[in-house]
Amino acid sequence: MATNGIPGSPAKKMRPDRSTAPAALGPPTFDLDTWASNYGGALLPLRLAHVAVYCPSLARQSLTLAIAETRKGKNVELYVRLCELAKQLGMEDLGASDGEYVARQQESNRRETVRLEGELRGYKNNLIRESIRMGQEDIATHLMSTGGPLPDPNNPQSVHSAGFNAAYQAFGKMRDYCTTPTHIASMTLHLVYCALIQAVSAQQLGLAAATHFNSALANAGRLRTVGVKEEEQVKLTPIASVATGIAQLSMTYYHDAAHSFLNTPFDYHTLGTVHSTDFNRSVASANDVAIYGGLTALATYDRTELIDKVLGGNFRPFLELEPHMRKAISLYTTAKYQACLDTLRRYYSDWRLDVFLGGLASSLGETHVDRLFARIRQKSIVAYLSSYSEVSLASLADTFPPLTNSPTAMEDEVLHLIHLGHLHARLDVVNGLLIAPRSEPRAAAHAEARKMAVEIERSLRLRLMRVNVSLAGLELPRSKAGAGTWGQAEAVGDAGFGD
Amino acid sequence: MADVVATLLSFPPENASTLSPKEYDKVIDGYLKKLVKLPSSVWTKPVGKQNVLDLLNPAVNSIPYLAALTEQTRAVGRDTKKRQELLERAVIFCTSFDPVQVRYDGEQWTEVMNWTLAALVAGDVPTVSPVTTAMLRLDPTAGTFTTLHLSLLRYSFEAGVPSQTLPILDKDIYAFPSSPTKNVPEELYSEQHELSNAFITTKSGYGPKLQPEYVLEYYLLGAHVYIGLRDYDRARLFLEHNILHPSPHNATSALQVDAYKKWLLIGLLSEGRTWPLPRTHNTSVMKSIRSLAKAYDTLAEDFEKREFRKMAAEMEVGAQVWLDDGNMRLVKEVGDALLKYRVVDLQKTYAALPVSRVANFLGFAADTTAHMLAEMIRSGNLQASISQSAAPGDAILRFHPTSTILESDIDLEAQTRRIQDLTTFVRDADRRLQLTKEYVDVQRRAKRAGPENDMADQMDLTWDQPLPELAGVEDGDEDIMAA
Repeated sequence: MATNGIPGSPAKKMRPDRSTAPAALGPPTFDLDTWASNYGGALLPLRLAHVAVYCPSLARQSLTLAIAETRKGKNVELYVRLCELAKQLGMEDLGASDGEYVARQQESNRRETVRLEGELRGYKNNLIRESIRMGQEDIATHLMSTGGPLPDPNNPQSVHSAGFNAAYQAFGKMRDYCTTPTHIASMTLHLVYCALIQAVSAQQLGLAAATHFNSALANAGRLRTVGVKEEEQVKLTPIASVATGIAQLSMTYYHDAAHSFLNTPFDYHTLGTVHSTDFNRSVASANDVAIYGGLTALATYDRTELIDKVLGGNFRPFLELEPHMRKAISLYTTAKYQACLDTLRRYYSDWRLDVFLGGLASSLGETHVDRLFARIRQKSIVAYLSSYSEVSLASLADTFPPLTNSPTAMEDEVLHLIHLGHLHARLDVVNGLLIAPRSEPRAAAHAEARKMAVEIERSLRLRLMRVNVSLAGLELPRSKAGAGTWGQAEAVGDAGFGD
Repeated sequence: MADVVATLLSFPPENASTLSPKEYDKVIDGYLKKLVKLPSSVWTKPVGKQNVLDLLNPAVNSIPYLAALTEQTRAVGRDTKKRQELLERAVIFCTSFDPVQVRYDGEQWTEVMNWTLAALVAGDVPTVSPVTTAMLRLDPTAGTFTTLHLSLLRYSFEAGVPSQTLPILDKDIYAFPSSPTKNVPEELYSEQHELSNAFITTKSGYGPKLQPEYVLEYYLLGAHVYIGLRDYDRARLFLEHNILHPSPHNATSALQVDAYKKWLLIGLLSEGRTWPLPRTHNTSVMKSIRSLAKAYDTLAEDFEKREFRKMAAEMEVGAQVWLDDGNMRLVKEVGDALLKYRVVDLQKTYAALPVSRVANFLGFAADTTAHMLAEMIRSGNLQASISQSAAPGDAILRFHPTSTILESDIDLEAQTRRIQDLTTFVRDADRRLQLTKEYVDVQRRAKRAGPENDMADQMDLTWDQPLPELAGVEDGDEDIMAA
């Protein structure tokens, strides 16, 4: 990239420094070309880059696809970044960027920006709101496809209005010129889409993405109450649900995310292009929704909820798209925990390579899939133990093979669960037994009632005293400045009585 | 002189037991008027060769006996022998006076009690129990707060016998002397009273006018007694009485800060965590208290998080603070308690584990740990057993399953009775509240506003409890009559 160089652009890396060893990740079950053909839009190159970073066996193929895809578009900066990434991964041939294309495209982008800005100024002079809105939309769309202007290296504040941020702000500026609810809906939808792209792009650059997910969440919420006609709203609601779910998932609010995904109408599947964005292709396909919803629900819902709301509810058609997910959930509900976990593990790579599920959940390099898997495992252990009064650690380890080779792995895991308060049991280290507490509801109720009586007596006494003190006018008087009330009172008290 | 003695002995009349309270009141009033006219020399000068006190029976002629005692204590000076003699008579009086008669002479009674206290404490065997007896004789419920309550506590601390005040401390204060309400017919001292605040009023002369600080000090000192006795529940109640003392101007007393510090520490000692603040606390007062007790708050926080190293460091750094506050020993105890609670916490996670592991967790040597665990089990702090083995580290600590201990019927009955007594007190406070000017004003305004205001206001919220259950209070009344 040094060859062409965008003047002053800081050298950025696609790969976050703290990524876990990507070599550990096996090849996914899907075929990359088929998989990539499901997606489109500005997120596709970012998706491919994500795959390249984490899955070495597919790195070359996905980068080739990504670079070719970017080359077709206008986002020069992304192109340069992808070439850089290829060099970092040791693919010098791919990394050689086309300096001529970069220069030409940059120039044409610049000219287009100037032209659009000029047009917008003209519209503004004419004071026709609809034209201004459309002009603004043109600029915003242009900024989005080019990846926005580069930050000014001399002005650190300019980061906030560079890159996709510029596009987001440009879309936001449309609000003043919207005259119908449909306009507002269109703008909000663009904002959601743009915020999600911003978030993914920030994540890949190793920056904090939470603010972007937050704005995606907020805008997705607005999308539900935008006030358009019924038949239009029907198209917006599924998008709002999915976007909300993705944002919540990415901010680790798994339970809320599950709720959002499960309430997505199946119409999402056949939605097509709404307001010039096909969410199915550009953000998440119906299959993705099935995975996201299934995983988050499995990690946070209890058995009956899983049966009623996930397997039995509106979400069923989604699950039919991903039969292995449905199978995993039914295995869990029939208490075949080990089989469930095995099924999930088989698809770990696939999900790890998804740009949202594979996003980092914490600064420790843990992704959302890792977290969800850990939760599902914890839940399985707790659910497994709930049916026994005593379980030996050995049999527990048989059912749930420990994740590490340490001899105390199982014990440590169980202790951790007890400490977190998820597991109500006690460990007999000597015999290697996990013992569930005996419940004595009768005695417990008695003890509870007695405790209550004592508590009531005490608070009654405290209140009675308060009434009495007030009645007798013995409240503490206003303290006099400079003189301690107590000091004075003691003097009075000693003089008043005592001997 | 003889007619003077006759006057002194003219009360009670032969038929005293048959008199109605009203007649009794009239007779005693006339008698008191006669006494006032007597010269003070009557009380101090010997009659014939006898002390006037020898002529009087303290149980029957309580009023003149009390008057004589008062005058003689004022005149006694520093003569040890005479003081001793007088003290003996005072003690006899304490245990035998007629409580109804004494109600008519609160001022002198309080004076004599204070003198007796001072004299007793200065004696060879310091004690305050005669005064305790006397207080309970006058008022078996000991529930109306007087300055004598506080004096008793102060002297008992001076004499080093704080536990002797327990008969008084164990009774709950349910009223403060108040001035009789206008336009309400005054009750006679001679009548039977369920609660003592009917005859201990601001007019009846039991000690000087109360100050808020007296109340605060009483509760703080009382809490000290209970802390010393390890009765944490009662100490908690006393400290909370202190901390929650109302103040319309958000004023805070240094005594409250002191109480708060102790409250934090004993909360940690008794339950391993700080108690929740009572819901009725005043937030701005609490804020000022807390700002003055930060060191203790930090300590409590470490304790609750079981951060023993930080806590030990904190204890060391704050040594001067604890020392200045006189809380050094309590803080030390809290430090020891942390160790105990860390072991108790293990119980939640483990059913059985080798001692070596406990030792590892606590950071002690195995044999020290084994010894300590054995000590804890013996003292009943830990429901567990240790198996024997050659090396202390190999022994097994086995926690017993936690089971809730069923309360005995006696405990339950006591609890029921306490709450029923409390209802009596509440009803009385309610009655007094209804007689206040503010209450009447509000009622009048509500009446003017019309009945359709709020249905809840019109509902009868009083609750009448079954009467024959008033065990504790009734006993008290019987005592009065028997005396």
